[in-house]
Parts: sequence; C-alpha cells; structure tokens
Amino acid sequence: MSEILLLVESKDGVLDKKTLELIRGASGLGKELGIGASAVVVGNQTAQLAEEVASFGLAKVYKLEHPLLEGFKPDAWVGALEWLCKQIAPRIVLMSHSFVGKEVAPRLACRLNTELTTDCLALKIDPNDGALVRTKPIYGGNAIAALRCEGLPQMVTVRKNAFEPAEQVTAKSDIFDMAPAIDESILRVKSIKTVPEQVVELDKANVVISGGRGIVDKDDFQMLTDLAAAISKALGNVVMIGCSRPVVDKCWMTSDRQVGLTGTIIAPDAYVAVGISGAIQHLVGMIRSKKIVAINTDPSCNMFKVADYGVVADYKDLIPALLKKLEG
Amino acid sequence: MKEPQIIVCAKQIPDPEAPFSNVTVNVEKKQVLVDAPDVISPYDENALEAAIRIKEELGGKITVLSMGRKVSDTVLRKTIAAGADALILLEDPLFEGLESNSVAYVLSCAIKKIVAYDLVLTGRQAGDWDSGQVGLILAEMLDIPCISMARSIKIHDGAVVVEKTVPVGYEVVEAGLPALVTVSNEVGELRYVARSKMLGLLRRPMPIPKWGLKDLGDNAERLKKVQLMELAPPADMGRACTIIEGSTDEQAARLAAVLKELR
Amino acid sequence: MTPQRAMFWKIEDVWLFYVIAFIALGLFTVGVAIHIFVWRKSAPHGKTSFSWPALKHSLMDIFLGLRVFKGDIPAGIAHFLIFWGFVILTIGTTLLVVDDHLYHFLLGRNHLVFEVSMEIGGLFLSAGIIWALVRRYIQRVPRLEHRLEDAIVPLWLLAAAFSGFLLEALRLAAQRPPWGNWSFIGWAIAGWIPQGVAESVYPDLWWGHALLCLGFIAIIPYTKLFHVIGAPAAYYLHHSEEKSAGASLAPMEPGDSLNPADVAVLDACMRCGRCVQACPSNGAGEPFSPRDFVQAARHSLWLEHSPAGDIRFLSKQRPIEDKAAWYCTTCAACLEVCPVYGATFEAIARKRASLVEEGKGVPDLMNQTLERLFNYDNPWVSSKRERGAWAKGLDIPVLKADGKESQLCYFAGCTTSFDARAQEIAKAFCGILKHTGVSFGIMADKEPCCGDIARVTGELGLFQEKMENCLELFDKYSIKDVVTSSPHCFHTFLNEYSQTPFRVRHYSSVLKELMAEGRLKPKNPVNSTVTYHDPCYLGRHNRNFEEPREVIGSIPGIKLVEMSHHGSESLCCGGGGGRMWQGTDLRGEARMSEIRIREARETGADILITTCPLCLVMLEDALKTVGLEGKMKVMDLNELVLQSIEQ
Repeated sequence: MSEILLLVESKDGVLDKKTLELIRGASGLGKELGIGASAVVVGNQTAQLAEEVASFGLAKVYKLEHPLLEGFKPDAWVGALEWLCKQIAPRIVLMSHSFVGKEVAPRLACRLNTELTTDCLALKIDPNDGALVRTKPIYGGNAIAALRCEGLPQMVTVRKNAFEPAEQVTAKSDIFDMAPAIDESILRVKSIKTVPEQVVELDKANVVISGGRGIVDKDDFQMLTDLAAAISKALGNVVMIGCSRPVVDKCWMTSDRQVGLTGTIIAPDAYVAVGISGAIQHLVGMIRSKKIVAINTDPSCNMFKVADYGVVADYKDLIPALLKKLEG
Repeated sequence: MKEPQIIVCAKQIPDPEAPFSNVTVNVEKKQVLVDAPDVISPYDENALEAAIRIKEELGGKITVLSMGRKVSDTVLRKTIAAGADALILLEDPLFEGLESNSVAYVLSCAIKKIVAYDLVLTGRQAGDWDSGQVGLILAEMLDIPCISMARSIKIHDGAVVVEKTVPVGYEVVEAGLPALVTVSNEVGELRYVARSKMLGLLRRPMPIPKWGLKDLGDNAERLKKVQLMELAPPADMGRACTIIEGSTDEQAARLAAVLKELR
Repeated sequence: MTPQRAMFWKIEDVWLFYVIAFIALGLFTVGVAIHIFVWRKSAPHGKTSFSWPALKHSLMDIFLGLRVFKGDIPAGIAHFLIFWGFVILTIGTTLLVVDDHLYHFLLGRNHLVFEVSMEIGGLFLSAGIIWALVRRYIQRVPRLEHRLEDAIVPLWLLAAAFSGFLLEALRLAAQRPPWGNWSFIGWAIAGWIPQGVAESVYPDLWWGHALLCLGFIAIIPYTKLFHVIGAPAAYYLHHSEEKSAGASLAPMEPGDSLNPADVAVLDACMRCGRCVQACPSNGAGEPFSPRDFVQAARHSLWLEHSPAGDIRFLSKQRPIEDKAAWYCTTCAACLEVCPVYGATFEAIARKRASLVEEGKGVPDLMNQTLERLFNYDNPWVSSKRERGAWAKGLDIPVLKADGKESQLCYFAGCTTSFDARAQEIAKAFCGILKHTGVSFGIMADKEPCCGDIARVTGELGLFQEKMENCLELFDKYSIKDVVTSSPHCFHTFLNEYSQTPFRVRHYSSVLKELMAEGRLKPKNPVNSTVTYHDPCYLGRHNRNFEEPREVIGSIPGIKLVEMSHHGSESLCCGGGGGRMWQGTDLRGEARMSEIRIREARETGADILITTCPLCLVMLEDALKTVGLEGKMKVMDLNELVLQSIEQ
C-alpha cells in the first residue's frame, strides 16, 4: 500500500505526452503523501520504452511483459494489470483518459473491487485522511464536481492537459521485470482485423479552424479549407479543419474532427471558431488555445466571451475578404 | 440459430442538448438544475437502434432496462414505441445517486434475474456524467465478453461481430454469446418515434414491471453513493475580447494582420 | 337517289361482328368495374352526392379543356383536336348504329351533314394525334415520357382513323354515289382507287377497322386512355367535395382513408408531366418527380385493393426510393398546372405519414427537428426561453392569460422568433403598428408553435398536439384576432386547424387595411426598382397575390417589376415542406433559392421583397452564395414600409 502506479501509453514506440503529464501528476501526489510513484509498461518487448520511462525520476518502473500483451488486447491488459495490482497493492492507480484508459480502468477497478472516477481535471489529497479528491466536469462541463471514492487502490483516469508534462532527470529509476500469470484462456474477444482509416489528429495542428452550427451548407467548409491553406502558406505551419458537434451530427464531418468534450481536446497556438456559438461542451475542448478568434453573426454568443479577437460578421462575406488580404 | 434475446440498458437524463443558459448549479445544495425535459441518453438510443436492427434481421426479443429513483415511463415508453418488446424499470429510493460500480451491480442483479439473454447493449457513456463505466463493469460482473465503442453490430453463428472504433480506424472483433457491447453514435440515430405511436402506447394499459432493491437480492450494504464534496459552476473561461469593427474589408484586413502575427 | 348508306354493305357473318363487339364492351365494362372497385376500396368512407354546380363546373372543364390549355397552349390544341375528333366520331358511330337498327333517319341532307361531320372528326383526330406524336418523339418536349403505351395508344388511334378514311374511300370508289364528294377526304382518296380493287379489298379492311375500333374500346380501362373516364369523374368529385380554401396537405390521422376525389385524381393521372415541369425541386435537378410519386401512389392503391393487380399492363411502375418523399416543398406549383387538380399533395402526405409512422425512413436532421419541436415547441433551438427575446427593449405589450381585453395578437412564429435575420420582420412590423397607434400585444415566451412543420412532414400526431395546445392557449389568453408573421402559420390556422375560433390575417393584409383606412401613409420616397417574390403559402395556397403588391405600389418613388415566374406561377424559395430543416442533405444540381435569386436579379431590381420569414432567410442566404451581395438586397415588406414612414 505504498505506491502510486501509473499506466504508460505509447504509440509506435514513442512515449505518449499524456503519460508524461501523468508522471508529473503522480510525482506530485507521491510527494504529498510521502510515497513513491511508479509506472507500469505493458507489452511484449518493452525494454526500450521502459528505459525511457525510467529517466523521469520515478521510484520504480514495472516491465509487464508477455507475448499476449503485444498490441492492445483489452482482455489481456486488464488481466495482466489485475495480476500486477494484486502483487504490489498500489495505493493509487492513475491512467490517462485515453482510448486505452477508458476501456481498461473501469474493468480493472471492478476486478480490484474499488471505485473509479473518469476524466478528472485535477487531483488533490484530502489532508484529513489522505484520500484522493477528484475534480470532474459533469453535465457537459456545465458543472464541476469534486468527489471522493471508497476502496483501494484509489483509481482515476485523467484528462489530457491536467498536468504539465514531466521532464527527464539524470537519475534512472529501477526497472522490475514482471511476468504476469496469464494465458490464452484470458482472451474472450477475438480480433479479426484492424482497418486503418484516415484519421485527423487535430492535436498535431498549430492552428485549428473550426466550423459550427452556423455553417449553413456543407460546401461552405471549402471556404474554411481555403482559409486553412492560405494561413498555412502565410505562416508556414500546420493548419487543420475542426468542427463542433452539430456538424458531426449532420454527418458533414467525421468525429475525429470534432473539438469538445466528446471529441478531441486541443490547445493549438490559434483557434479560429467560425459560426460556433460556444456551447460549454465545445469550449472545454479548445479553451486552452493560446489565441482564440471568433467569427459569428450573433454579438451576444458565448464564443465572443472566451475569444481574444472577435469579428461580428457573416463568414460568407468575411472569409473571401480575408483570403484576399492573406494572399495580398 | 435461435432468435437472439437482447437487453438494452437505457438511462433517463435531462436533455444534454439544452443550452448552457438552461443549466444552473446550486453550490449550497450541491445540485445541478437543468431546465430541460428528460430524454433517453443519446448513446443509449444508439444502442437501442442497434438492437432493433438486429431484431429486424434475425427476430428475437428486446428488453429495455432502466434504473433510477424515479424513472418516467412516458420517457422510457419511447423504447417500446421504437421497437423494444419489454421494459423493466429498476426503481427504488435507494437507487438515487449511486456510483457507477453500484449501478452496474443493480443492473447485473436484474439481468441475472432475467436469466436468458444473448446480448447486452449499453451506450458508450451517459450524457450527464459522461463516466463511461457502467457498461464495462457490468460485463465484468456478468463475467461475459466485453466489446466497447461499437459502430456496427452483427450476430451470426452464435457470435457477435463488432466493428469498434479505435484510434487508427476501426477494428473488427468477434466474441461468443452472451456478450456485452457498448455502443457509439456511429451506429446511427434511433429511428423516429411518431407521437401517435407514443400516445397509442400511453393510452393502452401495459404492465411495466418495477423492480426495487427487495426484488434484486436486498443487499443494501452493497450500494454506495457518489460522495460529492463540492459542486461548482465552471471556472470563468472569459478573456478580454477585442472586437474587430469596421466594414467587411477593414475587418478582414485587421484579422489578417492578427493571424499573420502568429508566425 | 337519296343520300344514305348501308351499315353492313358487302359484309357477311355480321353475327361475328356482334360477338366481337360484345367481347370488347365486356372487357371495357370489366375494366371500368375494377377501377370503381379499387376506388370504393381505397375510399371506403367517401360519400358522393349530386351537385348541380359541380356538374356544371365539370362539364366546363371537360368540354372547354381549360385545364389542359393552362400553361401549355400547343398541348392544349393537340388535346382539343383529339378530344373533339373523338367526340364527333363516337357520336357519329353511335348515330349510325341507331340509324341502322332503330330509326332510319340518316337520309338526304341528314346524311350529308353526317358525312361532313365525320370527315371533320377524323381530320381533327388525326391532326391532333400527329401533332402529339411530333411533340413527344420529334420535338421531344422534356416533360413527356417514352413508355410503351405512350407509343402504342396514339398509333392505335391513328390507325383507326386512317383505316376509317381508307375504308370510306374504298366504299366510295366502289359505289361512286353522286353525293360522294361531301366526304371530301374519302372522295379525294377514292379517285386513286380502281373500282374492282375497291370492291374486293373492302370487306377485309372493314374487319380490320372494326377490330381496331372495338379493340380501342376494350383497352381504355387498361391504359392511360382511362383518363377519358377518370378525368371527368375526378373533375366532378373534386368540384363536389367540400374543401378548405387552400390545398390540404394531410389527412388528420395516418390511418385515415383517402377521399374519393383523391383516388379519382390518382387514377386519372396520365403522366402528362406538367407537374414535373412546374416542380421547383425537379427544376433544381433534385431526384424528385411529382409524376413518379403520383404513379407510385396509384400503383400501391391497385396492389392493395385490386383483385387483378395493377391492370395498366403497358406501363410498368418504376420503384421509388423512400427518400424522394422528403424533397417536396409543398409549394403547390404542381397543383396549379395539373389537368385533373391532383398532383402530388395526397401522395406525398401519405408517404411522409407512413415513413414517420414507421420511423426508419425519417432523415436524421428531420428526426432531430421533430424531437426539438416536441420537447421545446420550436424547430430551431433546444430551449423555450429565448422565444420573445427579439422584443427586448422594444417596449411591446405582452399579452396575459385571462386578460380581459381582447386585442390584436401578433403571432411571430418560430422562425421569426429565433432566426437573427427574420427577427427584423417582427421588429419592423411592430414598429409600424406602434407608428399607426394600433393596440396589440405579443405572447413573448409563452407563444406556441402552430405545428405547421409537423403537419407538412407527416407527423400528424404531433400536429394534432400542437393544434390543441395552440387552441387552448389562445382560449386562455382570450385571443380573438391574430396577425401572423409567417404565411405558414397563417395558412395552418386558417385552413388546417379543425376549428379556427379567432380571426387570423397575414401581416400583409393588415398593412393593406391600415393603408385603406388612411392610418398608414408611406411618405418617404424609396427610389428603387423592386421585385416581389410570392411566398407559396400566401400566394398559391391562399390566393393573396395583390395585397402585398398594392402595399408596395403605394410607396412613393418605387418601381415594381415582375419576375418571369410570379403570382400563381411563382417559384418556391426551397424552404417549405420542412426543407428549411433538412439542411443540404437533400441536394440537387442547384439550390432552389439560388435559382430564384438569379431570376430576381434578371429583372434588374435593386431589392427583392418578400413576405415570409422562410423566404427571407433562404433568399438572403442565396444572395450571398451566388455572390450578388452588394448588388441587390433582400427585404421583408415590413422593412420597406418602415423605411418609408420613419422620420
């Protein structure tokens, strides 16, 4: 009962930025509680990744290796993590509120007979009894709840950007090889094939231009695309097109472009909101953008309240004019 | 094969489409007040649509389970009007404000009481707390295979074949029955339910079983509530907004300058 | 010798002719009986009664053929020739039978008149058919189809007419009667035929002609020729039906049966395609054809009720996608031109009602819109709170429930209440009312939705609820006099509610009245050329074409020019029938609103005036998308009037 365990995630061998944030968060909580923060790397051949994780000043790094853990098979991962948690009995378990965390955390919590809070914005320790206090948005972000839960380990999934990413230190953490007692019988869902689709990764963009309910015609997104091309040309950076949920509901855009609570949460250098009124569930997805520009016909809309620059205009007039100015 | 028995779990929540201005947070009472009618959580509607499509293809029976302290059968009867065969309400004052684990426990008791089922469908998350836990925990409690984030669900040869959304695209997975699948919006919207159908149902007396904790093992110690310490309105996200005025041309020129500064 | 002729000259086995005639008439009777059977089954509760004015009106429609001339004079002339040719020949042949069997009266002068009339009849018929064939197959008029029966039916008739002339020529060539030249066409041909040949060929050709004519009678109920019975029946049933001022889109209950007039209209459709030509959706290249819809509706009635299936064996029914039902804007342009007063309304209404009932075929956006309408009493936003927000700061009296004083209620309606552009209509109209000192009030956030969208999209249960809610609220507020912003609300209150226990006007009528009373006097000149777009639900549905034009005309300095489609031929903006809420998920090659705005621009007008919030929003939007902004303005009539009275 004396450590904080966090789950490491990576993509193509590269450590996920959300994991670095978790490391920072876990270290902070560990200091407060006077216990160590450890990480678990799950997979088949994870030596290199474990080495990298070991350079962030954690107490321990567990290398949970098994051929069945190759790729992400939820059944195997949950089983292996259950085994590990029963071995080391952590006091707190942290995961990112990511594709992996969303699936693994609830099932693991159930198997460990504890409660879980998902999608936390902030974590702190209750000074009275050392319990983990979790801050979580509810009702689409219209309210912020502070909760505590019973059971051990104390388990949460954490939203992206909740902590600053950790930085590397000179000291290396100890790496422990762990061989989970799992076998084929653990797999109850068979993967037949994975079909890659072109997926837009909005969080890789420097500038995101988003359209919302105010865009009256699907074809008008071409204007946004033209604007993106012009900005990209003028600034020499990555500009992508996003949208708010009504646009996805109309099937004009795929959900990978959706910015907001049920879409992607981003913090680009600049966010240009076109015809987005600013429902809170959208705002939480882009509020950390460095500069926010709002274009809307309704001067009283929420988007103007959170923007740095606002233009009260119809996008159909403004964007063509803007294109000329950017090109000129 | 035999006709599949499908259970769909549906939660009643205040309409999540309600605009921002209709939601108020009572900090003292630690309550969120939403000035909006109750609806079925949108992802749960997707789950029901998926179930109805399976039934259209293979026949079978759809049972909808809904739990809460006070479940409105006028809201939930929509599921029957849309194509479900039976509705069971899990209603008890003790069911108010339960945390996810306990909710899944009550649902699992109810499902075990139903005995025969092939497929359990839930929404990927509820539209109020967005926790996304109940479906996954329920599968653990029922000890059946679990598939999340489905965008298409088919049953054949005693197995369920699901296309699940994954970060790089989608993955086709298969599991034996019975199984639990959590459903995402890509499945498609619940078909429209005409008012005349709803009214016809409301006029017709229909026995809707209501099961309380007593009917489900009477294990009150097992139920735990959400421990809400504080409730606050969202932090003010406001910034000092510079409104760019002038003619369209002037607005465009100034906005272009702002954008170019980003370099 | 007295001019006369023997009916069965040189014909043996006359009994065979009677057997064949009996069979032909039998087929005809059975066919017609099946039609009547299907009508009765399709409209089991329909009552028909005798009405002299309806009969008179129908006879005018039949014999003057005005509905056929309307909008297409060449087609009208072709039809006129075929119709009268057919009538003359039918009467003539009947007289010949009477003459032969009952009373021998076609003697001397009577016979000569008869012969000349028959020549003219034959000439009319042949000319009409040839013209019709030329239009269909050589000119290739776009609205005309090229199905098998479209060729067989006219060619059959033409063969009958030609064989008649030839037969006559043979008879004249053989007999050489002194009065022969009265049959001027036959006589001319006879000159070329040697007497011996004529006598020997005559009997064979006689049988050929008889078979063509009898066969023609037999196929009437089994081809599009049925319209010779169906159309008159449709006219009579249409004129004798009690109906509201506008065209009703939907029956009150989805399970309701059709009424006899609707059934007759569907069955009388002969695929002329005038509806297709008039349809703005079809014109914008959308995959929708009113004709196909009517035919599909007719076909489904036959499949449902006919003991013999669909008996129109020469015209295969093409399948129609469910989605097609959502294209119709309910603009009624098709209704205006349909020769049998029918077109798509009933068919669309039924299809939509059944899709809504079934649930599956409702497009996602419409599904969301109807849910919103149910939960929030408007199709626009998921909240009731903001209705009436447009009136903030304008100092407009808000009506109170149980208010003792009954005064004029301005019913803004959903689109005017929620759309930023359309809100200007309400602001301007209230400005005018205040200026003229009219006492009025609004219901603000208590204002209900009239239910029009539910009705036009076939959600009849929801419409019923909205209607009951509205009537209850109006009663509670003691509202007796309503002026609407939208022609859609106006139409719904006036023509679609089961009762309208209050006076209802569209604002354009109120403006006109205020001017007539001298309370509203536009004085500031508006030196512009304007054109006026007739909203479908004010114009075509409620025949108010003049009042808005009179209001425009009374503004000093203004010049009103008309678009090529105006008045009853006005083109829809594309926003009606629920299309406003379909987004661009239903799309064609062009947008209806863009077609309309371009037409407005062609008049050279600076301002396009309209009197409907949906038109205003659609057209203003199109103005931007076609890049005419700055060159032209779209304004509501109120805004124009306000400009002319403001200081």
